[in-house]
Order: sequence, then structure tokens, then C-alpha cells
Amino acid sequence: MSDESAQQRAEGVCPIIDIDYREPRPAFGHYASLNEVRELAPIVYNKTPFKGYWMVTRYDLVKEALQNPEVFSNKVVSALGDPDKHLYLIPQNLDGKAHVDVRHVINPWFSPGSIARLKPLARERAVAMIEELEPAGSCDLAVDFAMLYATEMFLAILGLPVDDGKMLLPLVETVFRGFFGGDPDEQSDAADEIKKYFEDVVSDRVDNPRDNTTDLVTFLLQSKMGDEPISEQDILTLCLTIMLAGLDTTRSALGFIFQHLATHEDDRQFLIDHPERIPDAIEEFLRLYPLVIQDGRYVAQDVDFHGCPMKRGDIVWLGLSQANHDPRKFDRPVEYDIDREFNKHMAFAVGAHRCLGSHFARMELTLVVEEWLKRIPHFRLATDEPLIERGGQLMLKSVPLTWEV
Amino acid sequence: MHIAVNGSLCSGQGRCYMIAPELLECDDEGFVSIRGTSIEVPAGMERAAQSAANACPEDAISIED
Repeated sequence: MSDESAQQRAEGVCPIIDIDYREPRPAFGHYASLNEVRELAPIVYNKTPFKGYWMVTRYDLVKEALQNPEVFSNKVVSALGDPDKHLYLIPQNLDGKAHVDVRHVINPWFSPGSIARLKPLARERAVAMIEELEPAGSCDLAVDFAMLYATEMFLAILGLPVDDGKMLLPLVETVFRGFFGGDPDEQSDAADEIKKYFEDVVSDRVDNPRDNTTDLVTFLLQSKMGDEPISEQDILTLCLTIMLAGLDTTRSALGFIFQHLATHEDDRQFLIDHPERIPDAIEEFLRLYPLVIQDGRYVAQDVDFHGCPMKRGDIVWLGLSQANHDPRKFDRPVEYDIDREFNKHMAFAVGAHRCLGSHFARMELTLVVEEWLKRIPHFRLATDEPLIERGGQLMLKSVPLTWEV
Repeated sequence: MHIAVNGSLCSGQGRCYMIAPELLECDDEGFVSIRGTSIEVPAGMERAAQSAANACPEDAISIED
């Protein structure tokens, strides 16, 4: 099905827009634009970039599509990539039974009960990094804290030494730059080095199994998917996927949370006075500042979706940030409200592909805010310039903070 | 009052047992342990049951009198 055809089918049926959401904008610029688009119509057609896509913009429809994998397949998981050249991810790109089988194996590793064992290490590393930064009176939260912390925590959940974080960090940065406009050759070289790191881990664990309750690769080598052992290639893909899915999101969430706390003194003071409410604050930050602004899906069968004639092969954008800010679902949707009762946000998406690392992410974000506010309760942005956010998958590139010492 | 969790909608978001730990718990995979079943809500926990239902992004939880 050609691009022109999808756009032709959209003409006269829904608004057609031409907006590139891969470009950087001033902070919150993506949310503002996407919220405007949501108010145009429940579904619009975006004819850019190289492949156009149907954009599902409102909460109820986004949820309906995410809960209907028969029609909206995970063969494609981002509307912004090249659907013919994307990286293959496990479990993201799996549908149906294959997906259920993988999740059945790996869900227990990421369950609340299982991640609880990582909490002491996660707290210890957060405390150590914050105490190292505190005497300087300033830092760039995005660069000096969030990226290293997220990298170490990714290693921790795999059961690998957090000390490897400093070595992997520049490689990881290069890979992520490549996804969002950086040099593809540099990205490819860095990805090869990271792959080599995991290949070495996998081949080592084949010969020298470790404790299968703390070492993910050993656990996966000893697990079965359905009735079959998991191939070493799939284990490698899983490790890389967990890194790609979990690392950039966690560091980006920290950036948005700390810019909020730096610029909203009342909200910060409330959490200093009521640290037991930090988990509620994190939930509201997740709703207000979703980083994954869209889940892409591949239309697997022709469907009339709320009046839009979609055909097999079309790409849809399911607007997670638009859903989280939909006034039909949330009162005063672009305001922070820690007391929100109906906070059914979609920061971790909904449906069978609900973010595998969501419980781990919540734990990390909560304890970083707890430990930070204990040590550096008062801080502000060190710049009057607007912060800049990356497009595609949102991230504040720099969050310069300053505090009294 | 009963609380029921639709087994095909529940995806293990975990919001219900986080918000109502006195009533609900998670299983080994991170799903609420009563996924796909219905239980009677003990006296005094009606509010917790309602809050759990109100927090579920999948709308998998229903409350029946």
C-alpha cells in the first residue's frame, strides 16, 4: 500500500497535518503542539516524515487501539522510524503467543517482588552519586547524574557490575545520539562494541553459569520459551532491548522531574515535608511528562477505525502524551496535581505490551527524589534560557541546577 | 461488595495493589494475584477497592455490590 494511497484515503475524512516530531523544540514544545493536534480531531493524518501515519490523538481511542493487537500489530512500534529498516526488538516486536511466551519468562525478573532485592543497591548508588555532587553547589542533572545512574541501574537489573557503567556510558550516549539525528556510522560502531560486551557475557555464562536468581543471562539460558530453550541470539537481543528501552527513558524522566522540582518551590517543599507522598508525585510526573510520546503500530488488517479507512500496511501513531493530557479524561490536564484520584495515565502504555520495566522505573525515580531532597532540598535552574528537548522520544538535553553549599 | 479483575485486560500495571496494598497483592509475574477472578471485599475496605478500580489504566477492575 503506497503512502499516497493512505493520504488519499484520509482526504475529506480527517484533518491532514504536516508536522515533524523528530526535531528538537524548546522544553514542552512537543506537548503543546500535540495537545493542539488532539483538539483538531480524534484521528488526523500526518503526512510527514518520509512515511505518513494516522495519528490517534484522544485517550479513549488510544486505549482502544492499544488493547486491540489483532488489528494494531507490534510489527512496528514507532511511527517515527523507517518501518522497513528498524531495529528488531524483543519483546516489543512480537505479537500474540510469541509475545506472551517471552513475557511469561521475563515478567518475574521485573516484578515488584523481584526488583525489591535491587533496592538497597539502587539507593546506595543514588546516595553516593548525590553526595559526590553536593559539595560543588551545581551540576547538570541530565549529564552529571541521570545518565550514569540509569546506566548503572540497567547493569544492576541484569546482575552485571555497576562499575562497567563508566565504560559503557560513552558508547550508550553515541547509540542514542544515532537514533535521534546523530552520525549513523558512529552509532553502528558503538552498537557493535556494546553488542560485543554482551556477547562476551553470554558466552561466559554458557561456560560458567552464575546464580540464576541474580544473573539475568544465566536465568535466560536456563529458561524455556514455550517448550524451547531461548537462543543465544535472542538473549543478546533481549539484553540490548532492555538497555534501549530502559536507559534513555529513566534518565529522561529524571530530567523532567528535576526541572519541575527546580521551578516549583511549593511542590518541592510539599515533598520535603511529606516524603511519604513522593510515590504519588512520581505517578503524576509520569502522567504530566511522558517521554515516550507515541507508540507506533502496524495495521495488520483493513479496518474502519472510527470513520477512518485504514488498510493493512498503514502505520498509526497512538498518542500517549496526548492521551495523558486529554481534558476529556483528566481535569486541568496540563497542571501538576499530586492528589489526582483517577490517574489512569499511559506513560507505560496499556495493553499486553505494558512497559516491562515500569515497576523498576517507579522504584528508581522514587528513591532518587527521596535521597536528593534529603541532601539537596533547595535548588533552582542555573539558567534563564529555555531548556531544549530532543524530539522523537523526549529528553531535556541539559538541566543545569544550582544550590547553596 | 465484590472486586473482579478481568484476566484478559489486566496487563500487570500494578496500580491497584500499589494503591490498595491492604486488599490486593501481586503474583510472581507482577500481576494482581486475583487476576481473572472475583473476591468479596472485606468490611472496611470498600474505599480501597474503589480506589484500586479508579487507578487501573486498563479498566480491568470492576466493583459489584
